[in-house]
Amino acid sequence: MRIAHAGDPNSGKTTLFNAITGKIEHVGNWPGVTIAKKEGDVRKALNREGGMIRVVDLPGAYSLSPFTTEESITSEFVRNEKPDVIINIVDATNLSRSLFFTTQLLELSIPVVVALNKSDLLDKKGIVINREVLAKKLGCPVVETASTKGHGLPELIEQARIVYGDKQTAPFTGLSSSNKDQAVDDKVKHERFTFVEGLVKDVETRKVASIKQTRQDAADRVVAHRILGIPIFAAVIYFVFSLSQTYLGPPLADYLVSWIDSFYEYIGGLMGADVSPILSSLLLDGIIGGVGAVMGFLPLIMVLFFLLALLEDSGYMARVAVVMDRHLKRVGLSGRSIIPMVIGTGCAIPGVMATRTIRDDRQRRTTAMLTPFMPCGAKLPIIALFAGVFFGDAAWVGTSMYFVAILIIVISALIVQRITNNGPAESYFIMELPDYRLPSLKRATVSMFSRAKAFIIRAATIILLCNAAVHLMQTFTWSFQVVEPGMEGTSILATIASPFAFLLIPLGFGAWQLAAAAIAGLIAKENVVGALAVVYGITNFIDTEELALLSGAGEVAEVMGLTSVAALAYLVFNLFTPPCFAAIGAMNAEMDSRNWLWAGIGLQFGVGYTVAYFVYQVGTLITTGSFGTGVIPGLLGVALIAGVIVYLVRRNDHKSRVELKEAV
Amino acid sequence: MEQAVVNNKMISRYLNKRLDTVSEHLNLSDAAVNVPYVIKGVNTSDRSMKDFLFTLGCYEGETVTVISVLTESYIINIKDARYSIDEGLARAILV
Repeated sequence: MRIAHAGDPNSGKTTLFNAITGKIEHVGNWPGVTIAKKEGDVRKALNREGGMIRVVDLPGAYSLSPFTTEESITSEFVRNEKPDVIINIVDATNLSRSLFFTTQLLELSIPVVVALNKSDLLDKKGIVINREVLAKKLGCPVVETASTKGHGLPELIEQARIVYGDKQTAPFTGLSSSNKDQAVDDKVKHERFTFVEGLVKDVETRKVASIKQTRQDAADRVVAHRILGIPIFAAVIYFVFSLSQTYLGPPLADYLVSWIDSFYEYIGGLMGADVSPILSSLLLDGIIGGVGAVMGFLPLIMVLFFLLALLEDSGYMARVAVVMDRHLKRVGLSGRSIIPMVIGTGCAIPGVMATRTIRDDRQRRTTAMLTPFMPCGAKLPIIALFAGVFFGDAAWVGTSMYFVAILIIVISALIVQRITNNGPAESYFIMELPDYRLPSLKRATVSMFSRAKAFIIRAATIILLCNAAVHLMQTFTWSFQVVEPGMEGTSILATIASPFAFLLIPLGFGAWQLAAAAIAGLIAKENVVGALAVVYGITNFIDTEELALLSGAGEVAEVMGLTSVAALAYLVFNLFTPPCFAAIGAMNAEMDSRNWLWAGIGLQFGVGYTVAYFVYQVGTLITTGSFGTGVIPGLLGVALIAGVIVYLVRRNDHKSRVELKEAV
Repeated sequence: MEQAVVNNKMISRYLNKRLDTVSEHLNLSDAAVNVPYVIKGVNTSDRSMKDFLFTLGCYEGETVTVISVLTESYIINIKDARYSIDEGLARAILV
């Protein structure tokens, strides 16, 4: 038996899905969290009679007529894939709108069970619903549920089993006549709402009218305030990042690193002197050293994910979209663009996928292009490493990278707007505002551990393989001889990376080791840290004792042979060049245009190179009084990038001027 | 280059003004806070936006209430839900 979950956005479908199947899909308190179909089997405890029950969780939709891409997934699934039963999740506090979709679903000749979700909030809001009358009028079972608390689940599954194979009679019919004539279509929708209105009048009593001003409305006026909105958002972001990267994350990381160190020594001792030095070095420096360097940053990432989950659960994200809308509109984006970017601080892939909720093609593609600029969880180790080694763990390095990212996004958005915008386009913003709620520590903990698990799996698979490969390529020459001491430049890795390193000289880090690490970062950004550990033979980036950290950091800085300014340039280069291949794949899927994809990658390279160039050259000028090496060749490179942009902008202006003349 | 942008802006401002004067109705951006208004129509060329608003319950004859006015955006109540809309959409909803 296959059950589909369908219902309005933010009615709690995925929370219910997780409670029924035991899965840990991403949930959040704003409309549009789920953007793809998810499948899972009903937990044994809820499935008393046995047999497989598969549940399909679908993105939220207000009706069967899709408005955005993710809504069309839902309508296509229930129309074409013929699930055996539909569980229609209805927000019990908002029957008058939700039942519109319910009456449409009831017309599909698929048995429906209505889950009156959020029923735990009814008392608080002074709403009473007569469930029996509602079930009778709709002609389908109605079960009260509270997905966040797990209430009503056994009964819901039981009812789904009972209706399986049944024929229900739709209380209102009108779908067959839609999609033909616009006027008829509107008339049917009108009648459907009138029907729903009559229904709601019969089953629902409200002690408090929904238009009454509440404390939530007062809170909205503060957090979405014209002047206060942005500082509040900045403060929240600062709090999240400084806690994860300065105050709470690093002490926890120190603890973990001491464990990894003992493991390294334990394995080293175990192998003794009899094992071939190449093999022991591959295992110790290549695999344990490289993976360990990445793993050491796990606590920082866990703290970040925990805080992000709390933020997503609170209902604040929808308000951020409201605050940012008027600002992002000026640079050709939408308020919704901020949500992919905030999600992108966890991982760019779901961030880019979240752009699906943006309806305007240009806004969606631009957002998908710019979201990877937000430093993701995998870039966090790079930031933390450089902040620790070169800047004595200064708090400003980590947090400022996020604000630099926002600045870069704004400037890039302006450039993209100038290149692609043809005249004024009508673009509206509308977003449902969910109720604020106290974020659940339990949900945040579950989310944190599930994402930590994903991070560990990555470290143990792709990162491990890459580090082993980097180590082998560094150990051997092209004729598969072990590299002679002092002849490191003859290794496979060095010869591949050297041409790239040449291009990086004007940025202050023209060493093949650094180029190789940056290239490895394209496979997965954690690789930058792992590969640096391997190529420089450093195993311990974060030391246990604070004093040791300073001397250790000094050593690491010395081994890499970088000035602080060059290190900062290397950091921004790795953060703001194209993301990993997986994220580029996501960009490709959401942009759905080769031109946009290549333009996006080009922009990301251009931005990364330009920002790193200016950081290094200007920084060197300030600290030493003269420019760094390769200032002129680098300037030519930057001028070339600028030239391409100016050419594209002018071409667009010319085009729109011609169109304007024709229009006049 | 600058000229084209300025021209575009002027044209759009002109068009907006024309649309405003053509309709005899007030729109949501003129509405008083906390007062329920009956929707007289949705004035937009964006058909799918109009359809979408319909599914939310925002159509001729329904009631809409402005809960808060923030700069360039409005928090409104339709049916039993709160939405945030921008200035452009507020102007398109006639009451």
